[in-house]
Amino acid sequence: MAVQAAHAGGGIADHIHPEPQGFIRRYVFSIDHKIIGIQYMITGFVFFILSGLLAETIRVQLMNHAGGFVSNDTYNEVYTVHGSAMVWLVIIPIVTGGFGNFVMPLQIGARDVAFPWLNMLSFWMFPVAGLLLFSSFLVGAPVAGWTEYPPISLEGGVGTSMWCAAIFLIGVSSTLTGINFIVTIMQMRAPGMTFTRMPLFVWAQLATAPLSMVATTALAAALAALFIERQFGVPFYDPTKGGSPVLWQHMFWFYSHPAVYIMVLPVFGIVSEILPTFSRKPIFGYKMIAFSSMAIALVGFMVWAHHMFTSGLAPYLQLPFMILTYVVAVPTGVKIFSWLATLWGGKIHLTTAMLFALGFLALFTLGGITGIFLAAIPYDLHIHGTYFVVGHFHYVLVGGSLTGIFAGIYYWFPKMSGRMMNETLGKWNFALFFIGFNGTFLPMHWLGILGMPRWVPQYDPQFEFWNRFASVSSFVMTFGILLFFVNVIWSLRNGKKAGANPWGARTLEWQLPSPPHYYNFKHIPNVYGLPYDFSLPLPYKGLDEELTDSPAPVPAGSH
Amino acid sequence: MAENRQAVGFGRGFWIATAVLTVVAAGSVYFWYTLPISNALPEAILTARQIDDLFRFMAAVGSALYVFIFGYIVYFAIAFRAKKGDDPNAIGVQVHDNVRLEVLWTILPALFVVLLSIISVKIWYEITLQPANGLVVEAIGHKWYYTFRYPQVHGEITDEMHVPLGVPVTLNVTSSDVIHSFWVPAMRLKTDMVPGMVTTIRFTPVRPGRYQIICTQFCGTQHAEMNKQVFVIEDRPAYDAWFHSWQAKNANASDAVATASTGTVALAGGDAKAGQATFQAKCSACHAIGPYSQRLVGPGLKDVLHDPSHPSLVDGDAATPANVAKILQQGYKGDMGQMPSAQMNAIGDKDIANLVAYLNSLK
Amino acid sequence: MPHGAVADPDEGQVDQLYAETRQLRLQGFLLFLVSDVVLFSSFIFAYLYLRNTLPAWPPPGINRLDVGFAAFNSVVLFGSGVTMHYALESWKHGKFARYANFLIATIVLGAAFLAGQGYEYTNLYMREHVSWSGSGAFGASFFTLTGMHGFHVFVGVCYLTVLLLQSCAGVYTKEKYFGLTAGTLYWHFVDVIWVVLFSIFYLI
Ligand code: HEA
Ligand code: HEA
Ligand code: HEC
Ligand code: CUA
Ligand SMILES: [Cu+2]
Repeated sequence: MAVQAAHAGGGIADHIHPEPQGFIRRYVFSIDHKIIGIQYMITGFVFFILSGLLAETIRVQLMNHAGGFVSNDTYNEVYTVHGSAMVWLVIIPIVTGGFGNFVMPLQIGARDVAFPWLNMLSFWMFPVAGLLLFSSFLVGAPVAGWTEYPPISLEGGVGTSMWCAAIFLIGVSSTLTGINFIVTIMQMRAPGMTFTRMPLFVWAQLATAPLSMVATTALAAALAALFIERQFGVPFYDPTKGGSPVLWQHMFWFYSHPAVYIMVLPVFGIVSEILPTFSRKPIFGYKMIAFSSMAIALVGFMVWAHHMFTSGLAPYLQLPFMILTYVVAVPTGVKIFSWLATLWGGKIHLTTAMLFALGFLALFTLGGITGIFLAAIPYDLHIHGTYFVVGHFHYVLVGGSLTGIFAGIYYWFPKMSGRMMNETLGKWNFALFFIGFNGTFLPMHWLGILGMPRWVPQYDPQFEFWNRFASVSSFVMTFGILLFFVNVIWSLRNGKKAGANPWGARTLEWQLPSPPHYYNFKHIPNVYGLPYDFSLPLPYKGLDEELTDSPAPVPAGSH
Repeated sequence: MAENRQAVGFGRGFWIATAVLTVVAAGSVYFWYTLPISNALPEAILTARQIDDLFRFMAAVGSALYVFIFGYIVYFAIAFRAKKGDDPNAIGVQVHDNVRLEVLWTILPALFVVLLSIISVKIWYEITLQPANGLVVEAIGHKWYYTFRYPQVHGEITDEMHVPLGVPVTLNVTSSDVIHSFWVPAMRLKTDMVPGMVTTIRFTPVRPGRYQIICTQFCGTQHAEMNKQVFVIEDRPAYDAWFHSWQAKNANASDAVATASTGTVALAGGDAKAGQATFQAKCSACHAIGPYSQRLVGPGLKDVLHDPSHPSLVDGDAATPANVAKILQQGYKGDMGQMPSAQMNAIGDKDIANLVAYLNSLK
Repeated sequence: MPHGAVADPDEGQVDQLYAETRQLRLQGFLLFLVSDVVLFSSFIFAYLYLRNTLPAWPPPGINRLDVGFAAFNSVVLFGSGVTMHYALESWKHGKFARYANFLIATIVLGAAFLAGQGYEYTNLYMREHVSWSGSGAFGASFFTLTGMHGFHVFVGVCYLTVLLLQSCAGVYTKEKYFGLTAGTLYWHFVDVIWVVLFSIFYLI
C-alpha cells in the first residue's frame, strides 16, 4: 500500500503547548494523557485495595457456616460495595481510563487525546464518584447487590441514593472518555497508520469506546429513574404504584452485559500486545482478532436478557437471547485460538508479564466456558443466583480482566516509570495469585450446583469444607497481590533503569524514551506497516531524533 | 523464514503432547458421563434427568476443549521457550495467518453452537410444556418465608408444600413485597417471585422425599434464612387424607357465599378491625379510603358498598359484599389496571372476610 | 488525518489547524448528541414498556392529552428550527444583521415553546390532577420525558443567547464559526426529539 508522504503543514499534531510548570498543573490537574492514565491507575488500585479488603471480609464471614464475623446487614453492604466498586471503580477505569489513556495515544502516534480538558474532567469525576460510593458506609451503604433490583432497592436510607449518584457520575465519566477515544482514534492517527496497521490494543479500545458511550448512557437513564423514584416517589419500578420491577432489569442489563465486555475487550488488547512481543512473532490472524472485537461488541448488545431467564419473561423472548449468547463464543474462540497459534513456533520469553498473559488465557477461557453453561436456559434455571454464577464471573473478571491488568502493568511499567519491575518478586506474585485464585473460585462452581445460593451470610453446614478451602485460598491470593504492590513500590525506587525498549517490542510507544516526553513525539512519525513483523525493520519513519536528548521543539508563536 | 519454519513444524513433541492431551480429554469426558450426580443431589422431577444430561454434555465437551487449550498453552510455553544459550535476538516463525486453520476454528465452534442450541431448545420445550391438568399450587414469597395456597382445596394459606408423587403440578408464584425466588435444587428448577406478577412453572415429581426450597434472590436481612421444604408424598391415601382435612376444615365454615369459579368464601364473622389493619398493610398503596374518584392506582373505596351513584362494581356486578369478595379473591383487570388477586395480595379467605367487613363498615 | 512536522505554523497553517480542530470538535459533538439520543431512547423504552403493562392508555381517570394545544406549541418549536436554519445560512453568507434577527427569532420561539409547556403542565396539574409522582406510570413517564426535553430546550435557549452575545463580540468570523454549527445541530436535535415525543404521547 502506498504510504502517505509527510507533507509540510502544521496540523494539530504539531500544535504543541509548552509543558506546564508547577506540581498542581503537572500532576494533579494535568491535561497530559500519560499523567491522567497513571492517575486513573493509582486511583483505581486504591479502590482495588479497599474493595479487595471487603472481599476478604466476605471470605472471613464464610469461613463458618453460621457466619458470625459481621452482621447480616453489614455483610450485605460489604458485597454490594465490593461488587459495585470492583466493576465501576476498579476494572472499568483502569482498563479504559488507565491503559487506554496512557498507551493508546502513544501507539497511534498522537500527542494527546482529542479533548485533553475533557479528559481531565472525566478523570476527576472518578475519585469523586468513588468517595461518594465508599462514604455511603457512613450512612448505611446499599445492600441489594451491585444489581440493585427494585423493589428492595427502593427501601432503606440515603445510601442507595448515593450509590445511584456515584454510579451515574462514573457513568458520565465513562461516556465522555468513550467519545474522546473514538474521536482520537478516528482522527489523530499518525500518517500512514491505516486501520489495518493499528496495534490491536488500539483496536480493542476502538471496540470498547462505543460500548462505554452507548451502554453507559442507557444505565444513566435507569439510575436517574431509580434515583427519582427513591427521592420523589415517582413510580417507575414499584409495582404497587403502577411501575414494573422487570423494567429495571431490562435497563440495567442492557448496560451491564455490554459492560462486561468493556471490562474485558481492552484486556484482550493488552494480551494481544504482550503475546507477540514475548513470542517474537507476529500476532496470528491480526484481522480476525480485530474484527472479532467488533463482533463481540456488537452481539454484546443483543444478549442482555440472559441474566433474566428466571424473571418471568415471555418464553418466546428467551430463546433468541440464549442462542445469541452462545454465538458470542465463536468470535471469542477465534481470539483464543489465534493467541494459541501466536505462541506456536515462537521464541517465548517467560517474563512476568508473559506469565500473566498466559494466565489470562487459561483462566479466562475457563470462565468463558462456564458462561456457556449459564447461557443454556434449562441449566440456568438450576444455577441462576447461586455460587456457580459467582464462580463464573470471578473467572472472567479476576482471572480475565484483573490478570490482564497485572500483565499490562508488568509490561508497561518500564514505559511509565522508566524502571523495570523485579522479576523474582513478579514470579512469586504470579504463582501465589494463580494458585490462590483457582483455590478460591473453582470450588464455587460445585457449591452452586449442589445448592448454595449467592448473597448469604450463613449457609448450610454441608458446604462448610469447600467454603473454608476457598477462604484459605483467598488469603494466599491476597498475599500474592500484596507482593504485587510491594514490587511496584520497591521497583519505583530500586528497579533497574529500563531504557527505551527493554522488551524489544515494536509498537510506537517503545520507540520513545521511558517515560516519554511531555510531547510524546518530537516529530510525528510516518507508519509503513504492521507493528508485529519481527523479521523486518521497524515500520516507522521520522523517529530518528526521538531518543536523543535535545528537547522537543516548541513552535514559535504558540500560546 | 523458510529455515525457521522447518525448525519447528509439527514435530514429534507436538504429536506426543497431542496424544497425551487426547487421553486426558477422553478421561474427562468419561468422568462427566459417569459422575453420579444424583447421589449428591437427587433428581426429583421428570425433567431433572434431562437437565443433568445437558450438564454432562456441556461439561464433557467443555472440559475436553479446555484440556486441549490449557495443555497447549503449557506445552507451547515450554517447548518454544527461549533457552539459555539462544541468540537473544532470535525470533519465532514469522507466520501471519493460515486461512484454513482460521476457517476451521470458526466453523467448528459454530457447528457446536448449532448443536447445543438444538439440544437446549429441545430440553427447554420439555421443561416448559409439562402437562397442566394436575394439581394447582400457588406459592407466595414474603420477607422471609413462603406461603402456599391450594385453589382446588380453597381455604387458608398453609406454610407447607405437599405434592403427590407422579401428579403434574402447576405452580403459580408471586410475591407480596420484594422479589424472591423459588428454587428446589433437587428439581433443578427455579423461578423468581415478582410482586405484581404471576409466573407459572410446571413439573411432575417422580421421587418421594423432602426437598429444600431456597430463595436465591436477595430480599433483605434474612434472605439466607428464607427456605422451606416441599414434601413429595408417595403414599397417595395419606396425601388425600391431608388434602381432605383441608377441605373439611373449610367446609365447616358457615354462611358460604358462592363466587363465580373458585368456590366459596366464608364471609360471616369477618372482623372489621382486623380488616382495617390488613387494609393498611396490603391495600392502601393502591386505594384511598375516600370517594370513588379519589384514585391512587385503583378507585377510592370509602363507599364502595354504599354509594348510590355507583350501584355496580368495576366488573359490572352489583355492589354486594359477596361480589366485593369475589373481586378480592380473583382480582380484576379493568380500565384502571390490575386489581391483584388474593394470591398476589397474599391474603387468605379469613382476610377477605375481614376486609369485606371493614369495607362494609365504612359509611 | 494529521500531517507531518513543521515547527513554526504560519497563517495558512493556522487555518488548517482550525479546520482540523473543527473536525475533531464536530465529531465529538455529534457523538455527544448520539449519546443524548440513547438517553432519550432509554426513557422512551421505559415509557413504552410501562404503557404496555396497562390495558388502557391513558389510564382511566386521566383524560387524553390535548393534542390541539400541543400541536400549536410544536409548530412554534419547528418554526424555531426553520429560523435557526436561516440564521446559520445568513452567517455563512456574511449577512450579519439578518443572522442576528433570525437568531433572536429562534430564541424567542424557543422561549415561547417553554412557556407553552409551562402552561400545559399547570393545566394538567390544576385541572386534571395529573402529577409527576401521583399518577402512576402515566405521570412518571410523561413529565420525565417532556421535562427532560424541556430542559434541553432551556439549555438550548441559553446556549443560543450566549452565541448571540459571542457573535456580537466578534468571537466568530465568516470562516470560523464552529460554535454556531454546534448550536444549530443541537437545536435541530431538540426538534427531532420533539417529533418523536409528540407522536408517542399525543398521537398514538
Ligand atoms: C472485577 C471485579 C471483581 C474482583 C476483582 C473481585 C475479587 C474478589 N471477589 Fe468478588 N465480586 C464481584 C466482582 C469482583 N470480585 C462482583 C461484581 C460481585 C457481585 C456482588 C453482588 O452480588 O452484588 C462479587 C461478589 C463476590 C462474592 C459473593 C458474595 C455473595 O454473593 O455473598 C465473593 C465471595 O467469596 C467474592 C469474593 C472475591 C474475592 C475473594 C476476590 C479477590 O480476588 C480479591 C483479592 C484482592 C484483595 C484481597 C486486595 C489485595 C490487596 C491487599 C490486601 C494489599 C494491601 C496492600 C497495601 C495496603 C499496599 N466476590
Ligand atoms: C468480564 C466479564 C464477563 C465476560 C467476558 C463474560 C462472558 C460471558 N458470560 Fe458472563 N457474567 C459476568 C461477567 C462476564 N461474563 C458477570 C459479572 C455476571 C454476573 C452478574 C451478576 O448477576 O451479578 C455474568 C453472568 C452471566 C450470565 C447470567 C447468569 C445468571 O445470572 O443466571 C450468563 C448467562 O448466559 C453469562 C454468560 C456469559 C457468556 C456466554 C460469556 C461469553 O462471552 C464467553 C465466551 C468465551 C468462551 C466461550 C471461551 C472461549 C471460546 C472458545 C475456546 C471457543 C469454543 C467454545 C465453545 C464453542 C463453547 N454470564
Ligand atoms: C396493585 C394495586 C392494587 C392493590 C394492592 C389493591 N388493589 Fe383493589 N383495585 C386496584 C385497581 C387498579 C382496581 C380497579 C380495576 C379496574 O377496574 O380497572 C381495583 C379495584 C378494587 C375494588 C373494586 C372497586 C369498585 O369500586 O368497584 C375493590 C373493592 C378493591 N379493589 C379492594 C381492594 C382491597 C381490599 C385490597 C387489599 C387487599 C386491594 N384492593 C388492593 C388496584 C389494587
Ligand atoms: Cu426471599 Cu431472598
Ligand atoms: Cu451477561
